Amino acid sequence: MHGRQASQLVKELASSEKGQLKPFNMQHNTCNFNVFGSLGMLHVLRFLSDLFDQVIEQCEQHHLELQSLIRKIQDEGLDVQTTRNADHYGALIHHLSLVRNKRCLLAYVYNRAEIIRSFIWKVGPVLPEEIQEKLSHTEGDHFRRYSASLNSYVQEVGVDLTLDMVPPKDPYIKVRVLDDMGAIVLSDKTANLARHSMHFLRRTDAEQYIAQGLMEELTG
Amino acid sequence: MATDAGDGSASDMNDHKPFVPEISDLELLKTAWRNEKAAPEILPFQTRLVNDMKDQIQWREETVDEFEESGNDPLTVSLYQMDLDRIQFLLRSYLRVRLQKIEKYMFHILKTDNLRDRLSEQEKLFARRCVDDMGNHLEDTVLSKLPDNYQSVLKQSIISEEDDMVPEPQLDAFVAGKSRSESPLYVDIPGRGHLEMQNDDLFFLHYKVVKEKVENGIIYLV
Repeated sequence: MHGRQASQLVKELASSEKGQLKPFNMQHNTCNFNVFGSLGMLHVLRFLSDLFDQVIEQCEQHHLELQSLIRKIQDEGLDVQTTRNADHYGALIHHLSLVRNKRCLLAYVYNRAEIIRSFIWKVGPVLPEEIQEKLSHTEGDHFRRYSASLNSYVQEVGVDLTLDMVPPKDPYIKVRVLDDMGAIVLSDKTANLARHSMHFLRRTDAEQYIAQGLMEELTG
Repeated sequence: MATDAGDGSASDMNDHKPFVPEISDLELLKTAWRNEKAAPEILPFQTRLVNDMKDQIQWREETVDEFEESGNDPLTVSLYQMDLDRIQFLLRSYLRVRLQKIEKYMFHILKTDNLRDRLSEQEKLFARRCVDDMGNHLEDTVLSKLPDNYQSVLKQSIISEEDDMVPEPQLDAFVAGKSRSESPLYVDIPGRGHLEMQNDDLFFLHYKVVKEKVENGIIYLV
């Protein structure tokens, strides 16, 4: 059926949890190994879990079909613009399938890019390994470039936008340190942030560490 | 609305001045922030307001520091600090909401002159960078692999006459707002006639119906 793979691609996006990312659906798991007895020849096997590439390939197929139908119309000496025969509608369907596939592909990439950009607000400019490995190569680049654009905006404006993600209630909050961080200079004092120690810190100081998972806020 | 009944009759219907009994910059920023959060499209950047607030923040920071040094009552200092924190949150959140909107509609904003003019200089730069970046990303991942006639990021294919691939804000989304006008306010609702609003009336309407009045400050969103 036309466009099924493309819709699967978009479904994958829609069915994943909000703000969560699945690995990019274009894994070229290249696997090299020697096949015994065949003169030590290097065989390269490519396992594709490659919905994304399949859809791209389909686009190419549709385009070929489309062109051949148009050529057929021309060969019959008919005007491509006005002819309304079976071939015309066949060509139209290939065109529409192609456009639909394009939209699905772009929607997939675009929406993933949105999620990826949202990470900068949630986890900061350095992505942990487990997220990093779900990104395709260009997605990684996209994240880095976005981070750079944001950074230069923040510098030009002179207001750090990554602070104060939630409305402040109290200038100071109670936190528990989750990982040894040693002595750290904060805006109003130097504190020895040893593991499991509890502190009463300025919220603006603590926020970045909480986001990185180094501290947790104690409430109640 | 029985208040100020004395000279209510003299008000001019066509001259809707915002009902503003000396609103502080802070209140203005709050309004701008709420408007920006609620409106589906990007609103004009409040250049003067943002600059003023930046000055105020600096001034308040200095005051808090002075208080701390001169050994003032810690409670007083903490209250000042809290106030400062809240202002900073407002300003940061305001700028953040705008950036998020710019990202969401970057292609649309940059190709529409009157929307682009609503951005601050820094935001324009940011938007430009985002568009280049997103364009490249889509190009590398998808578009360059498609057949020639289908490679545009703005159009579905070469035969599309308009840019039909550009996400645009939904201007007929519903918004909640209040009027702030001395005289009764009339809102045209296409196909439904007028809606009369008194000062401080709460309403729930299509954004595009009240769009102009939000921009003029006669209506603010909540």
